[in-house]
Order: sequence, then structure tokens, then C-alpha cells
Amino acid sequence: MLSFQLAWRSLWRNPKRTMITVAAVFLAVLLSTFMSSLQEGTYVKMIDNMVKFYSGYIQVHHPDYWASKSINDTYIPEDSVFKSIGSVGEIILAVPRLESFTLISSGEETRGCALIGIDPVLEDQLTGLSKWVEQGTYLVPGDKGVLLAVNLAKNLGVSTGDTLVLISQGYHGESASALMPVRGILKFPSPQLNGFGAYIDIAGAGEFFGAAGRVTSVALLVKDYHLVKTASRKLQIALGNNYSVKTWDEMQPELVSMIEGDRAGAVIMKGVLYMVVGFGILGTIIMMMAERRKEMGIMVAVGMQKYRLQGILFFESLLIGMLGVLVGTVISIPVIIMLVNNPVPLPESMAEAYESFGFEPMIFFSMIPRVFLNQAITVFGMTLLIAVYPLWGIWKMDAIRAIRS
Amino acid sequence: MIISISWRNIWRNKVRSLVIIAAITIGIFAGVFTWAFYRGMVNQRVQTAIATESSHIQIHAEKYRENPDQKFFIKNIDSIAAIILETEGVKAVSGRIMVNAMITSAETGAGVKINAIDPEMEKQVTNTHTKLTAGDYFAGDKKTPLLIGEKLAEKLSVKLRSRVVLTFQAMDGTLTTGLFRVGGIYKTANSMIDETNVFMKSSDAVKLIGISPDAGHELAVMLMDNDAERLNLVTGRLKAAFPGLDVAAWREIMPEVSIVEESMDLMMYVFMGVILAALIFGIINTMLMAVLERVKELGMLMAVGMNKSRVFRMIMLETVFLTFTGGVFGVGAGYLISLVFYHKGIDLSRWADAYEKLGYDTIVYPVIEFDIAWQVAIMVLVTGVLAAVYPAMKAIRLKPADSLRIDM
Amino acid sequence: MKVIEIRNLVKDYTDSAIQVRAVNQVDLIIEEGEFTAVVGPSGSGKTTLLNLLGGLDLPTGGEIFINNIRLNDLTATGLIDFRLYNIGFVFQAYNLIPVLTAGENVEFIMELQGKPRSERRKRSHELLESVGLADRIDSRPSKLSGGQQQRVAVARALASRPRFILADEPTANLDSVSAQNLLDIMEKLNHDEKITFIFSTHDVRVVRKARRVITLEDGRVVSDVRQV
Repeated sequence: MLSFQLAWRSLWRNPKRTMITVAAVFLAVLLSTFMSSLQEGTYVKMIDNMVKFYSGYIQVHHPDYWASKSINDTYIPEDSVFKSIGSVGEIILAVPRLESFTLISSGEETRGCALIGIDPVLEDQLTGLSKWVEQGTYLVPGDKGVLLAVNLAKNLGVSTGDTLVLISQGYHGESASALMPVRGILKFPSPQLNGFGAYIDIAGAGEFFGAAGRVTSVALLVKDYHLVKTASRKLQIALGNNYSVKTWDEMQPELVSMIEGDRAGAVIMKGVLYMVVGFGILGTIIMMMAERRKEMGIMVAVGMQKYRLQGILFFESLLIGMLGVLVGTVISIPVIIMLVNNPVPLPESMAEAYESFGFEPMIFFSMIPRVFLNQAITVFGMTLLIAVYPLWGIWKMDAIRAIRS
Repeated sequence: MIISISWRNIWRNKVRSLVIIAAITIGIFAGVFTWAFYRGMVNQRVQTAIATESSHIQIHAEKYRENPDQKFFIKNIDSIAAIILETEGVKAVSGRIMVNAMITSAETGAGVKINAIDPEMEKQVTNTHTKLTAGDYFAGDKKTPLLIGEKLAEKLSVKLRSRVVLTFQAMDGTLTTGLFRVGGIYKTANSMIDETNVFMKSSDAVKLIGISPDAGHELAVMLMDNDAERLNLVTGRLKAAFPGLDVAAWREIMPEVSIVEESMDLMMYVFMGVILAALIFGIINTMLMAVLERVKELGMLMAVGMNKSRVFRMIMLETVFLTFTGGVFGVGAGYLISLVFYHKGIDLSRWADAYEKLGYDTIVYPVIEFDIAWQVAIMVLVTGVLAAVYPAMKAIRLKPADSLRIDM
Repeated sequence: MKVIEIRNLVKDYTDSAIQVRAVNQVDLIIEEGEFTAVVGPSGSGKTTLLNLLGGLDLPTGGEIFINNIRLNDLTATGLIDFRLYNIGFVFQAYNLIPVLTAGENVEFIMELQGKPRSERRKRSHELLESVGLADRIDSRPSKLSGGQQQRVAVARALASRPRFILADEPTANLDSVSAQNLLDIMEKLNHDEKITFIFSTHDVRVVRKARRVITLEDGRVVSDVRQV
């Protein structure tokens, strides 16, 4: 106990020197928290962007649907399905879809594309589809019209108001055909998407495919990316074996690979940062030792056992570590909160590119507890490790030489 | 002489100076190496994408890219290809006919893009022929062979020699079908590509689609190397040679890959910035000690006539020298080690899964380029100057009278 | 010829909220070629007076003229420049720049004055010769004895061709032999080249050599004696 008190007092005998060492630790925490928050935020946002684009975080299918993508593998989402979905608190949005490959023609021109039956309101909440409407209007519930991707429209030579012939293979082999007016034209940021599909109201789709009330999938939005695994597990249990629950990473493995690659790199970068700040802390400790050589030599010469001195120094390092980590964490919290609420805008050239994909041109941060906790623990651990140096220094010290220095 | 004094002053306290120089060296080395590493990774992604997907330059009819419809075709594609081959820097050219179609098997159907090619020419431009998991790449004389992606084969539940039907709109507008047999199955890193692209011989396509044999939709151009300068040069030349056509380099064709490159650079700037922020503290600390130890000496200097701006400059130079020495060693080490691994490669097979799926080779070759070196050097310099300000200000605030006052 | 003229010089300090008048109405004239010692106990204002004489500080009241230039009119920057061209310093310690050789230390002043290299080299050599250290021109201070360091300091002080040299306890850290050596050299320079020396000192040996002794007490000149 005495050693502890001595340690505390000796720290404050030279407040400036102590503050400098604490500052080194504090800086370490601040910078590593910043980087952690940045990495996590970017990662989550990227997934969010990709997922909101079409697939959602989770989808519920007929067990055979994902492999076959056939209109025959659809299901009626009875109340029990929605109840199960509702029972999982993490899910905040359920969006039904009924889609299949269809031939669309107008006059002489025919094109094949994906025809997607949607609930206009819910779909918009998930993917913001309405913002891509360039001509005409967005679908309303019960709408009998079609939203066409711009290139399809161009190729078919149609615009808002024109009539389209739709032909497809319906549920259980029934042939599906209909005449529908073009309600509006969609223009997406990326050219590949501009030819891929057409949207109609899901009730209309049910009628068309002879699959009234059926869906190919229900896409789900989860409150937070980190809740996806839990939510999907809970959901699968609630739904039992009659339905297949797929998460975004199962549906889009390329995305996962892309992100995994990033993760590995991020770990390396954090490692480098820790090394550098570790050196910074080590530097201040070395200098502190050098400054106090004389006084420590005197203490030992006068009769203090080396192990007592080591104890005091160890406690000093401990205290400095705790103080630095505490101050660092306390200060980084408001800073990170501010960054989370005010994402940093990207430089010009990148901003354009991002926007052309429909992504927000900003750098995002995250404030999940892990961001703060991990850094605090790591830096504290590092400080303790570095604390070994003074102990070794005292062990090696020759008191008389030290006094003369 | 101030330069000489500043430099020599650094070495007065060898231990202290070496500690901070070591820290800077390590930090900078790590930054430079990481940068080179990432650049190598991204470059590879780019090279892979160019080799499998877009090639260096693509040429289409003017409206085609905006609206990939078969009616926007290129005429005289063979003679154009010949001219392109003559252009300096071009290694190979391949012409393609592309049509959207529906493919059906016994089980089900899907929407695909037909790529009708001349296999010999195509081989020189893309590497799909090396990615076969079954069958062959249009070898032999089989009738109407089709090359499909593994993902598609799974979806359609077909295998080698299975029959599939392609339904599409011919050039004159009539709905046409063609019977094909699966002659080969390929698998690339990008399963989306595998799922939506099928390949056939252009001779077969010409017959079925009713397109003129010397027309096509796309010309893919492969250059001798990946030099950016060469790319610009050739793109410019081709644009000038074919003003009626849309000549686009890979960045325009694959903007998402281009973004990855730029994001990476941005990320590295931030990373270097964070490292330097961590180091600046140590530098300021070191220099402060250096100044405070020399209070009497600084007093003497100002007494004998060294004015404040000279003193400021002296401290500033000391800091910059200190920082820059670490920086030079750091960049040097980063350069060297990157070069070593550039030749040896770094094996990432432990994380193979993730990387393979993406088309990254599991061996990464860090790429160290001059622009990394000088940009880091500038950042280091700026850091040194910034770090110098506080200690230098402290130094000039000293009053010679005070610091020399006799201690009686 | 008057080198320094002081009229009604007053300097006040605030020392922990108490006003101290360190120099109290001093009038003084110092002529060219003098070899003068200023003595007095601590608290006598000796240090303060010398700081003022050396242009290291500005008076609170009164005037100080060095070579007919009124120091009161100068700014802080101006003072530094003034010192560079007009005053030579030899301190008790920390005279030399540790990372420069003896020759470079002497050249340093001339470099600050912007003199060309050839001139610096030549004069540095001459000056070190005049203090008997021509052979140590390339030695760093750490390789020189205390006495040698002080001699180099003298050479350095002369380098700027100053009006006078202010020596603040130059012998305090030296043994008797070195101290005597140093004083002999200074005396010779004073005699041969008419260089004005003003000492601040407790050292009896210095006082004995001085031809004029000014004694201070409580900020006032209490005695001003010329001796042989």
C-alpha cells in the first residue's frame, strides 16, 4: 500500500513530466479509437449500401427457391410468417417480392427482363426506388402499370403511357400474358442496372403469374448490421423447416470476400499504429527514467531495496496507464459521437464517383462499444508491457554511477 | 553555419535522438510498406479485372454503352481490328457479337448475354480459356458448342454435352431459337459473370442472328503492358482514328474498380496521417527537452548577437533534420523491403478463401512507386516543420539576461 | 573618448509583488582603453548594472549611451543587433557552442555579421594566435581545459571588433595558473590594442590587475577608485 501512495505522490512531484507521459498514452487511445471507428464505420456503411440496394439484410424463401429461382418455388406468406418476422425485434422492415423472367414487347421489339412485383410503399422504404423515377410517376398500391428501366424503355421505343405486352411462364406452367401501361421510367446510376428489369405492383404480379398472394421472397431490413446473425437465427427457429432464411452474405458472397479482404488489411494497419504509439509511450518512459537516474540512485544508496523501488515505479506506470486510458476514452467519446453525427465529406473527385453509384459521398464512423473498449484494453496492456522497461532499468542500475550522472 | 550547428546539435544526446529517429523510421517504414502492399493488391485486382472482364480498351458503336442493344453494332469490324493491331502498343484485339437472350434447359431458364467470339483471337485478349473446369474452349469440330459459367450450369442443372436452347431477337426483329450443346464450363472469380455470360463461336452467331459477318458489337483491345502512359496514348490514337465510334479505356468501363483504387489511396493518406500524428508528439517532446536543457547556451547565443529569427531557424532546422533522418531511413527501408517482396511475393494462402473468391491471387506483390515515396517524404517534412513550432517558440521566448544571471 | 555614458540610470524589478530598485540613480562614464572592475556583494545591483551596460536589458529610468548611441531608443531586436556589432562578452561559463570547434566558435560571430569566409578564416586564426591557441583551432570545447575555453571566449569576443568587452566573472571557475594566464592575455590586449575591458568580479586577482575599481552597494556607486 505504501508503495502505491509513494507512486501517486511521486507522479505529482513533477506534474509536467507526468502529464507528458499520460499524454502519450492518451494520444495512443485517441488515435487508435479514431482509426477503429473509421474502419468499422466504413465497413458497416459499405455493407449497408450494398444491401439496401436490392437484397436487404435477410430474405425468406421457399426452401428450393434460391437454387432454382423458379416461379414454382414460391410461397404464400401467411400470417404465421409475418408473426414470426414480427417476433424478431431486430427486424424493422419486411418487403415482399414476386419476380420472374418475362418477355416484354411493344410493337416489333421484344426484350427479356426480370419482372419484379413489389409493394410500392414498403419497397421504397427499403431501396428508395422512387428516387430513381425519371419520367412518369412511381407505382401506387394496386397500380396496374409498369415501371421500366430506361434502356429497356428505349429499346422497346416506349415512354410513359404506352402499352406493353408481357409474356412469361407462370406458376405451375400456366402461361402468363397481359397488357400493361408504362407508368414511369427508372434511371439508375449504373448503366448495367438500366436494362435489367421492370417493376409492377405485387398484387398485379400475382394475377399475372397466376400466383396470387404468393411471393418469391420477403426481404428484411435489420436495425443494425451487427444484429443480422442473431436476427436470422431467431427467425429460422421461429419459421421452422418450411422456409429458408438467407442472410446477405450467403446471397452475395462476392461482397463478403471484398469486405474480408479489407478487414485483414485493417488489422495490419491497426497493428502498425499500435507499434508506433507504443514507441511513443516507450520514449517518454525512457526519458523519464533518464531524468530520474540521480534521484533513484540516491534512494537506493540511502537504503531503499531495489524491489521496493521497482514496485513504486510499476505502480507509477499503472497509474499513468489508467489515467491516460481514462482521459483518452473520455475525450474520444464526444469526438467520435460528433464524427458519427457529422460524417466527413469526401474530396471532389471521389464524391462524384460515389454519387454516381447512388452512395453517399462521405466518410462514416462507428460508435459501437467495441470501438472504444478494444483500444482502451490494448493500450492499457501495452503500457503495462512497457512498464517492464523501468523495472529492468532499476535492476541493472549501479547506484553510485547513477548519483554521479 | 546555422545548418552545420543544427545538424551537429542533434547528435549531442545520441540516445535520445536515436530513440526518436528509430520511432520515426519504424512508423514511416510501416506506412510505406503498407501502402505498397495495398497498391500491389489493388493493382492485381485491376489486372485481373482487365484480363478477365474489360481488357484495356473497349470500342463500341456510339450509343451502345449507354444502351446495350444489339442494334448498335460496329460495321467493318475486321478491318477496324486490323488497323488497331497495327497501332503501336497494342498486343491483341478481339471482336465480339453480343446479344441478350434467354437460355432454357430441361429444368429452367434464365436471362443471359451471348458473347459470340473468334476463339483464337479471344484467347489472346482474355484469360477465360484458362478457367475451364470441364470441357474445352471451342476445340474440335463439334456442332454449335456453348461455353457457360459454372454458376449458370448449376442453376440450369446442366453439365457437359447437355442440350440448351437459346431464345433471342434476331437483327430483323424475329424471335429466334437455337439449339446448343454445352461444350465447356468455366469458372472465374466473379460468379455474377459466370451466371450471366455464355460464349459461342461467332460463325454460329452470324448464322442465327442474321448479322453481317463483318459486324460486331464490341472490340476488346489488350495492350503490351499496363503502363498508364501507354494506355492514354493508345486510347487517344484510337479515338482519333475512329471518331464515329466510342473508344473507352477500362476506367470508364469499370468505374467500380477505379473507385477501389482511389479509395485505397485515400485510405493510405489517412493512415499515414494517423501515424505522423502519433509521431509528432514524440518529436515535440524530444525537441522540447533539447531546448530546455540548453537554456544557458541559448541565452549566451542571444547575448552575443544571434537574433530571434536565427534562433528560431536553428531549432526549426534541428527538428526538421531529426524528423527527416527518420523519414529517409523509413522510406528507404520501406522501398527496399517492398522491392524484395515484389520479387518474392507475400503468400496469403492462410486467408486464401476470401481473396480467391475475389480474384486476388493468394500471393501479393507489393508495388512501390516513386509517387508513394515523395508524397510520404513531403508529409514527413510538413510534420517536422509543424513539430518545430512549439519548441522553437519556447527557445526565442528566453531572455538572455535571465538565463545568464549569475547564481550567487 | 567616451565609450559608455550613463546618466541617472534606474532599474526596477518586481520580485514576488515587491518592487525592488536594483540600480538607483547611477552616473558613470567609461573611457576607451580602460581596464575596469565592478565589484560589490550580491544584492548590490552589480549584475543588473552589467546587464544594462551590456545592452542585455533596458533601464526603467535614465539614459545609457554606448558610443553616443542612446540604447533607450532601441527595440529588443535592435538591441541584439547592437550587441553583435558593439559589445564582446566573456561569461563565467557556457561561453562556447559545444558542437563547434574553437576556430568555428570564433568565426561564428563574424558569420552572424555576414563577413565573407576568407576574412573569417584569416581573422579567426589571428585571434586565436593572439590568445596563444592557434594550435587548438580545430578542437571542440570538450577537448579544451577551462582556461583554454575562456581564452577562446576572449578571442571570440574580439572577433566582432567591439567597443568594449564585458567579462562576467571570467575567472570564477579557473585554477590560479589558468586565471593568471587569462588575465595576462587580457592585460596585454588592453595594453597593445587599447581594447576596453569591463569586469564584474569577486576575484581578488582581477581587482588587483584592474586600473579602476567601481564599488556598488544597494544600487549606488559608493566608491570609484583609480589605481595603478
